[in-house]
Amino acid sequence: MRLAGAELIDSREILPGQWLQDYRAPEIVAGARAGQFVHVRTGDYSGLVLRRPFSFNTIDVASGTLSIHFRTIGRGTEWFTRLRPGDRVDMLGPLGRPFEVDPRSRHLLLVAGGLGIAGVRSLADEAIRDGRQVVLLFGGATARDVYPSSLLPDEVEYVVATDDGSVGHHGFVTELVEAYEAWADQAFACGPLPMLRSLAGLAATRRRRLGVASLGRKRGAGRPLPAGSAQARRKAFLQVSMEQNMGCAVGACLGCVVMDAKGAPQRVCREGPVFAADELEWETAWQ
Amino acid sequence: MKAKRRVVTAVTPYKRRPTVRKIKPAIAPVVRRPPIERPAAEQPSNGAGAGTAAGGGSPVGPASASRAVAMHDLRSSDAAGDQGAAVALSVDLGRGLVLENPILVASGTFGYGTEYADVVQVQRLGAICCKGTTLRPRVGNPTPRVTETPAGMLNSIGLQNPGVDAVLAKYAETWAGWKVPVIVNVAGESIADYTEVARRLDGVPGVAGIELNISCPNVGRGGLQFAIDPEAAGAVTASVRRATDLPLLVKLSPNVADIRPIARAIEDAGADALTAINTLSGIAVAPTRQRPLLGNVYGGLSGPAVKPVGLRIVYEASQAVRIPIVAIGGVTELADVLDYLAVGAVAVQVGTAIFADPTLPVRLVDQLAAECRARGLSSYASLIGTALPKKAAAPSAKGVEYRP
Repeated sequence: MRLAGAELIDSREILPGQWLQDYRAPEIVAGARAGQFVHVRTGDYSGLVLRRPFSFNTIDVASGTLSIHFRTIGRGTEWFTRLRPGDRVDMLGPLGRPFEVDPRSRHLLLVAGGLGIAGVRSLADEAIRDGRQVVLLFGGATARDVYPSSLLPDEVEYVVATDDGSVGHHGFVTELVEAYEAWADQAFACGPLPMLRSLAGLAATRRRRLGVASLGRKRGAGRPLPAGSAQARRKAFLQVSMEQNMGCAVGACLGCVVMDAKGAPQRVCREGPVFAADELEWETAWQ
Repeated sequence: MKAKRRVVTAVTPYKRRPTVRKIKPAIAPVVRRPPIERPAAEQPSNGAGAGTAAGGGSPVGPASASRAVAMHDLRSSDAAGDQGAAVALSVDLGRGLVLENPILVASGTFGYGTEYADVVQVQRLGAICCKGTTLRPRVGNPTPRVTETPAGMLNSIGLQNPGVDAVLAKYAETWAGWKVPVIVNVAGESIADYTEVARRLDGVPGVAGIELNISCPNVGRGGLQFAIDPEAAGAVTASVRRATDLPLLVKLSPNVADIRPIARAIEDAGADALTAINTLSGIAVAPTRQRPLLGNVYGGLSGPAVKPVGLRIVYEASQAVRIPIVAIGGVTELADVLDYLAVGAVAVQVGTAIFADPTLPVRLVDQLAAECRARGLSSYASLIGTALPKKAAAPSAKGVEYRP
């Protein structure tokens, strides 16, 4: 975790109300991994007292740049859209725990719901760089909200579902998962809670439904892995990136918790944002 | 609680000598470096050097003494005005709790002191108030727990913590190795809870003091009932006082009609210092307008928005009691620190602003030293209480008074 200045290089509205911004921040990018996030200070402390957390959308260590992708939903995000190239912001990062890909996984299934694409986008780059095959399932409300395929690497197989059927599959993105879950070695998801809950349900019953064995005999080997550890995530079929209202983003304020399967609160900023799906409690009322 | 006749008159706060208690200091005495002799030109003007901010001189004493200083010391404005002259920033909160500087970090905003260690020079803080700690583990409130509001934030964490035993097992050893004192914030549901937590903290190396949180607005039985009634506040303070020799701070709630009788009751019950203020109770509405936003409905408002309320409470409390007051509420820059000092606080906690600017507290230490130097003060003590009425007002029977 480092505190450093970041210079805005480029800012563009890629979809109605959705922005993609590139920042040069070599100190933040060094060591950053897919699934982690930055906590960015607005320049207007008298009005906006909290920083804003953004997932790494892309990470380029060579040029020391990162990009963030957000929707304008309030005064904070609107403040960011008014930035111009050359402006500097204060970033804290990289924060949180990253996605963990098992070294033996060849086929990765990425599932993104709406703006959840921002959470898994960088993993596609990382996986392709490591020679893995990637399928990205994207679910949006209408064609207007569909992430442009031109912003994805060519190697990614991109499948779209929309709620109104205006493009791609007519229905929820989770309905596409069945076609790929036998192919996939691991799955990674980010999006609205109902989508993640439904995916967690699929993942929990996957082995029974498909009768698939785990990849490699020794995988897991039946021994319990410490909850929240990198190994536990690496061995999990489904990893989810969680979202929650956030205060400090370093684990001090306990504002951004989700409940784990044992009923204990886990901080999204510190123990997350990436969790193995089976570590979390999906039924209860937290949101 | 001992019965005590109290007559508040114009002269009492300034003539009474502070009670000097001969008690073993709870923290190791501060090792003060002698003023570094260097040519003025080489001195960093903002006092960025680690050792220059906290200089020699005696700590600012309990409140009455410091205010006495404030009344008489304004003349010496050019006595020690050299660039780089040591400025006395240390402050005595009573019972040997001597802080190297008057900038603390507020409970709930700095975790247990370790979370921000990567980006903050934690050892340079005056003290750390850790997350509210209860006797038994608490899971906390449903989410969402935080949201931003105009010039502030609402939080409703619900005192999530692993319980006093787990906190001590995990952090006490780390704290004991630190130069910066750690004040454990204690919350509970009953007097017995508070007392038992205090008993378990008593004598533990690494615990420099207790901040009694009798004013958490976010849990149904979070002790707020103790903060709104003078008798209850006095009773819980007295009970904790009997259980421990640790320096005892009591955190006041702004959600009351008149703070003065409560502050007096807490002082009479043996508290060493007061902290003011906790958050103001409030709610936010979800964007759908179908329900309140926070999972717990109610949250506590903090941030720049509450500073005027904090100033008012400190202003009133500092005229009602003689024990030192640690101010908290919307501190975001040096001007806020100076404002709080002017209305009678001897030290200041930084809270919500840390989320946006983690390094702010440490910078405030440097800026306060630089400000004293610029004004030619050898100690920040003469900044304290300057905005208080020169004669204490007569006690009022009318409740809260908003004087123009």
